[in-house]
Amino acid sequence: MQLTAPAAVLATLALAAAATPVRADGEVAVRGAYYKERSTRVEQPMMDARFDAGDDAELDTHVLVDAITSASVSSGAAGDPFTEHRWEFGGGYNRQLGILRLGGVARYSTESDYRSIFGGVNGQLDLADKNTTVGLAINGGHDNIDNAGLQGGLAPRIEGTLDTLMASASFSQILTRNLLIGVTYDFARLSGFQQNPYRTVVAGGVAERERHPSLRQRHAFYANAKEYVPATRSTLIAGYRFYFDDWGIKAHTPELRLVQALPREIALAVRYRYYWQSKADFYKEIYDSNDPMVEPYLSDDVKLSHFTGQTYGAQVDVPLSAIGFSGDRGDIRATALFEYVIQNNRFGDGVIAQMALTVPFRY
Amino acid sequence: MLRAWLVAILLALSAAGCAGVKPYQRENLSRRSMTADRDKGERRFEQHFRGAREGADGGTGEPGGGCGCN
Repeated sequence: MQLTAPAAVLATLALAAAATPVRADGEVAVRGAYYKERSTRVEQPMMDARFDAGDDAELDTHVLVDAITSASVSSGAAGDPFTEHRWEFGGGYNRQLGILRLGGVARYSTESDYRSIFGGVNGQLDLADKNTTVGLAINGGHDNIDNAGLQGGLAPRIEGTLDTLMASASFSQILTRNLLIGVTYDFARLSGFQQNPYRTVVAGGVAERERHPSLRQRHAFYANAKEYVPATRSTLIAGYRFYFDDWGIKAHTPELRLVQALPREIALAVRYRYYWQSKADFYKEIYDSNDPMVEPYLSDDVKLSHFTGQTYGAQVDVPLSAIGFSGDRGDIRATALFEYVIQNNRFGDGVIAQMALTVPFRY
Repeated sequence: MLRAWLVAILLALSAAGCAGVKPYQRENLSRRSMTADRDKGERRFEQHFRGAREGADGGTGEPGGGCGCN
């Protein structure tokens, strides 16, 4: 039964693709992503495809698999190492109708102890001769969670569901021939099971299961500016996100990127990201009591603690024409990315590496 | 905070009203580094990893989550 939803998504995408004209553009990207920190390693091969679907429409789809190897199922606690796989299938469709662009997205994700289905619709309106764009998106999701991956299998079964509703509003504005700005506001309402079904916390001298509130309302404001500098063929990108939620977490995330065009259409990008967050109201490393009347919520989840982080990254993007290939092969792009992530908490520092090949095609 | 955002949006709208950029003047704005400086797969992986390691999420206009990363 688990394959029903992704099979339906892929069948719909295939039917839509089959209905398109015989001459159109598309692009397939194959990417391998790797993340490693002290006790967790993630390997994620993925494939993205994008197709023109008629004169004014576009179809995209992706498939990926995660292989997560960690010290334990609760990600960071002591225990036997384990490896878990997660499959994700997704797709989207967009159609331009005059100054209005309408679209829809769908995604299905499954692993041994977590299943998620997500869908949504979005629209973008071009105004002032396309100098201004406003957008709106509504998404909803339903997740099923259990503790099927528990090592030893002696603990009682834990199951839960999580419903997510997300609304997003965006605005972008061309200010000059070289300067573009944008702002986005995202609201998410999560209702249901939000704790980790494996993780425990010390409360009243004993190990207790996490207890999180069943409702979380999250707000994120993001603003960015992009400027192209013709004299040096550089693009400067500055962004800042302010986040807060009703669990008491506030976060500031400024970021700077520089994309430098080099000879032969090669592009080099460098990046710096800073992250600061406050702790959730109920977060403690150790609780004096496990009485729900005294401590209704229990969590020592690192993500809910106060911490800071920094990311330094570099990326190079090379068309194969730069190394001697010609014709269609010359249009293929090879991308390599490396990032070093400093996390001032018990997760420790991490590294990210990605390699990708993007192949354009006509059909 | 909300007031600052409203002021920023109003300033941007006023700037748009007095200096529209014509389609033929958008060569630099249409460069890949200005329209899609990061690939979709790269953004998706980062959003997934950040969602499993940080308490904050969102601001991208795209849904995150969908995994057992609580």
